[in-house]
Amino acid sequence: MASFFFRGRTRTNASDLPRQAKEHVTKLEGPAGAAKAEELGKVLSQMKLILQGTHEAEVSPEQIVQLVQSVIEEDLLYLLAVNLHRLPFESRKDTQVIFSYIFRFRPPAASPKSEPAALKYIIEQRPQVLVELCKGYDHKESATPAGSVLREVIKSEAAAAIILYDDGDEPGSSAHGLMAIDRDRLQSGHGIFWRFFEWIDKGSFEVAADAFTTFRELLTKHKDLVPRFLHVNFELFFDKYNHILVQSNSYVTKRQSIKLLGEILLDRSNYNVMTEYVDRGEHLKICMNLLRDDRKMVQYEGFHVFKVFVANPNKSIPVQKILIMNRDKLLTFLSQFLEDRTDDEQFIDEREFLIKQIRSMPPQPVPSQR
Amino acid sequence: MTDVADHYQMLEELGRGSFGVVYKAIDKSTGETVAIKHIDLESSDDDIQEIQQEIAVLSTCGSTYVTQYKTSFLRGHKLWIVMEYLGGGSCLDLLKPGNFSEGHIAIVCRELLRGLEYLHAEGKIHRDIKAANILLSENGKVKLADFGVAAQLTNIKSQRHTFVGTPFWMAPEVIQQAGYDFKADIWSLGITAMELALGEPPHAAMHPMKVLFHIPKNPPPRLEGNYSKEFKDFIAKCLVKDPDFRPSAKDMLKHKFIRNAGKVEALQELIATKQMWDANRTRTKHPVYYQETLNSISQTDERDEWVFDTVRSVAPKPARGTVRSRKPSGIFSVEDAMRRLDVKDGPLQPSTPGTVRKATVRRQPSTAIAQSPTKSSQSGSVRRISTSTAPKRPLQADMSFGNTGSTMRLFRRVPSDSSTSGQLGADAGAADENRPPQSKSSSNTSSEQQQQQQQQQHHQHQQQPHSGKEAVLGRRLYAKAIEPALAELHAQTAGSDKRAALANLSDAFAHLDAADPEGAYHLLQSLLSSVAQDKKLSSAFLSSSSTTTLSKATPNDGGTPQGTVLIKSPPPPLPLAQAPNRSPSKLVLSNANPHLKSHRRRQGTTPDGSVLERGGGNGGSPEKEGGARERDAERGVESRYPGKEALPGLEHCQHLSEVFYQRWANGLLCRWGGVASG
Repeated sequence: MASFFFRGRTRTNASDLPRQAKEHVTKLEGPAGAAKAEELGKVLSQMKLILQGTHEAEVSPEQIVQLVQSVIEEDLLYLLAVNLHRLPFESRKDTQVIFSYIFRFRPPAASPKSEPAALKYIIEQRPQVLVELCKGYDHKESATPAGSVLREVIKSEAAAAIILYDDGDEPGSSAHGLMAIDRDRLQSGHGIFWRFFEWIDKGSFEVAADAFTTFRELLTKHKDLVPRFLHVNFELFFDKYNHILVQSNSYVTKRQSIKLLGEILLDRSNYNVMTEYVDRGEHLKICMNLLRDDRKMVQYEGFHVFKVFVANPNKSIPVQKILIMNRDKLLTFLSQFLEDRTDDEQFIDEREFLIKQIRSMPPQPVPSQR
Repeated sequence: MTDVADHYQMLEELGRGSFGVVYKAIDKSTGETVAIKHIDLESSDDDIQEIQQEIAVLSTCGSTYVTQYKTSFLRGHKLWIVMEYLGGGSCLDLLKPGNFSEGHIAIVCRELLRGLEYLHAEGKIHRDIKAANILLSENGKVKLADFGVAAQLTNIKSQRHTFVGTPFWMAPEVIQQAGYDFKADIWSLGITAMELALGEPPHAAMHPMKVLFHIPKNPPPRLEGNYSKEFKDFIAKCLVKDPDFRPSAKDMLKHKFIRNAGKVEALQELIATKQMWDANRTRTKHPVYYQETLNSISQTDERDEWVFDTVRSVAPKPARGTVRSRKPSGIFSVEDAMRRLDVKDGPLQPSTPGTVRKATVRRQPSTAIAQSPTKSSQSGSVRRISTSTAPKRPLQADMSFGNTGSTMRLFRRVPSDSSTSGQLGADAGAADENRPPQSKSSSNTSSEQQQQQQQQQHHQHQQQPHSGKEAVLGRRLYAKAIEPALAELHAQTAGSDKRAALANLSDAFAHLDAADPEGAYHLLQSLLSSVAQDKKLSSAFLSSSSTTTLSKATPNDGGTPQGTVLIKSPPPPLPLAQAPNRSPSKLVLSNANPHLKSHRRRQGTTPDGSVLERGGGNGGSPEKEGGARERDAERGVESRYPGKEALPGLEHCQHLSEVFYQRWANGLLCRWGGVASG
């Protein structure tokens, strides 16, 4: 360890490491893959030390500048992202650290508000790195490290936009960099973002759970980006959401996605998306069936979506029809709904509120005021 | 898709924590013994993400000093987490026969320091180092367990502020929330070393919340007495209040006390001692075997479904995208409704934009992964880890108050143990709330309680033909069960207000007994029958009696497999509020009550006794008069077992305690508010 450390202090080494890493990483598939993986591991751990320092030693910014520069020149981030699942256990963790530090690094002189240099480069010129990181969810091995990096990166709105608007070679896809994105174009549904539905629904628990966390961050962090995205791609998004996630066979996916749906709808920035959503009778049906699920927490999360339909003062005709047609059933049902939640005052209040709303609905649907 | 769960042969239960049940199992593909934690996700409102966090931390640990995570998967609404099986038990269990010698402590500490050195280099802080979270393998290897509150830092130089851990072991800087790092674990290690030497952490007699005041204000604890200079110095080095002057794990490994430590194999002595100790105290216990419970949640009642038919053709959306002229009142009511609605479910709502950084961790400090002390002897029996989990319970406060006052959620309701085993969590919650005091005690179903309950049922069964005996039985119930239990509990309770409350309850019962012993009898009987009538309640509380009715009452002990769910479960979750004054060690002692154990041994040897123990409530088994008399005597002894009937008296303690805690917490915020927000 100590020898790496001292070698890491020499100036030439820092810019040389990415080149070495590149050499090894491209040969991982070959016959000497195992040996290459080991050598790569050593290089990566040296890079990590340079970036991270240790508890005892501070980092040297000049070295990091060199390293970052060289990583970009060698296109190492892309290679590492592609090969993440092939790396050994410790190297995957080192890679995660390397990504995090590089994406965070600003030269000492740079303004703390500016986008970190490497991230800026990726967003503008090499968005494929982010796409490949998402593909980390294809493998159990790479899901966690890729996910951790992604969640840090998408704190940047631009990076989140890259992922949301990736659409292969289509015009307006983020594949040509941030500037090329056409936000008003309907997406084909083949971009990287749409694969999240598959990972969340079909992945093993660890993969699905991590992918969902990233998915949630993508959809809740950025209050300008996401509402517009959802508005334009409304049909595609909610079709997939309702049929893949809300109906998932995985208990965790189902429960968490219903909860997230409630959060999305009730987010003020998504007001237009919400009104559009609660106008659809189809959506109300899905939701009412959730209230009858045999798992209480699914019922409970479903309730928090259902309440949006009922609380909406401008209910559409189809929504009114369904509610009126089921009025008596709903009133009976709600009066006993999750009765054992006696210590959840907010829930009890809301349930009362809904009962009142449903009771006071007119006998026939009334055209909405809007 | 094949069911991953089928890859494992489930064996007996190892223990229970607030988050689920841990079973021993065999990986069929490799033959390897593993421990599998079952977490019932239905029983918790919002813990999925925290569990994921724990898994994420564990799965990125690759060290022989950390319990190895293998995999996890979902089965219905249960999450199975497969872990390395550690047969030696936790250090807390191993402490039961007696305190560790310095030699043993040095070994444990060295191994722990190596584990911490690894974790810290990985950017992880464990944050809950204590004897209960240190597990031993059968050959003496020491491993860190329970990463329920561990933190993963993205930057090794960054600091944490979250208030998390277990009070007695918490470093001052953690309590003060002034920002802390890896050094916090070193402090906890020092406290743990003292715990191993003394049997309990310093200030164990104090209320855990009071300890939080005490630690930052006072000089650090010191090890006194007949210990070597090196050991005392080791502890003093760990317990430096200023983290900047506290050594790192790496530094501590160079300490003389550690350098002179022996081989881990020496720790096998501790395991052997514990086995001996157990062998002397208890007869083999009945293992609780895994039973599939997933199907129990299917709802069969045919409710009339919603009617959607006539709306098949979705009407054209009226006026959407056209005028959008809403009446002002309309706007107002939408906004108003939304405001009503969005508070709870939208953590990212604009209503609280950027203000509150949700305090990250608030999971109860620990338990559960504890692979517990199943150093199973040849008989393949299981020792319940009740005693190892129970002590953690008093600390179950929800310490979610992080840096801000607004995220306070002080006490979270912990589902009773019985409910975690496949019942719908919400039911259990309701049971907590709505049940009258007495049945509350039955919710705290320790094996002994249950036994007693069964006996009582049995008794009733026998006696029912002889009407008019109710009064006698009622008196007996009071004299043999309620009064001694209350007295015992009273004796164990420290807070004066709590004692007063208990005394009141005791008086009330005495009064009832004097005025209307039949009433007492009927009270219990109606409680039991109403519990039995409710499907969910009865499966929660009386399930063992029903299962045992089915299984033949075989008099041979322990080994009988499947179906003999007898010693049902560890003692109840005693949330902080309910048993605030018991230090962990006290609970340990009480559970190991020698009377109880010897009594159980006796019971096991007489055929009558075992029939009784198993077949309670059955009534079909003929019994002699003598047996009945002996039972009465036994019940008398049993009823002295603390923590049974006495619990009804504790409800108001809970309220009081909550009030006190709230007050205390507010005080803390006032006191350190500046620091916390700054």
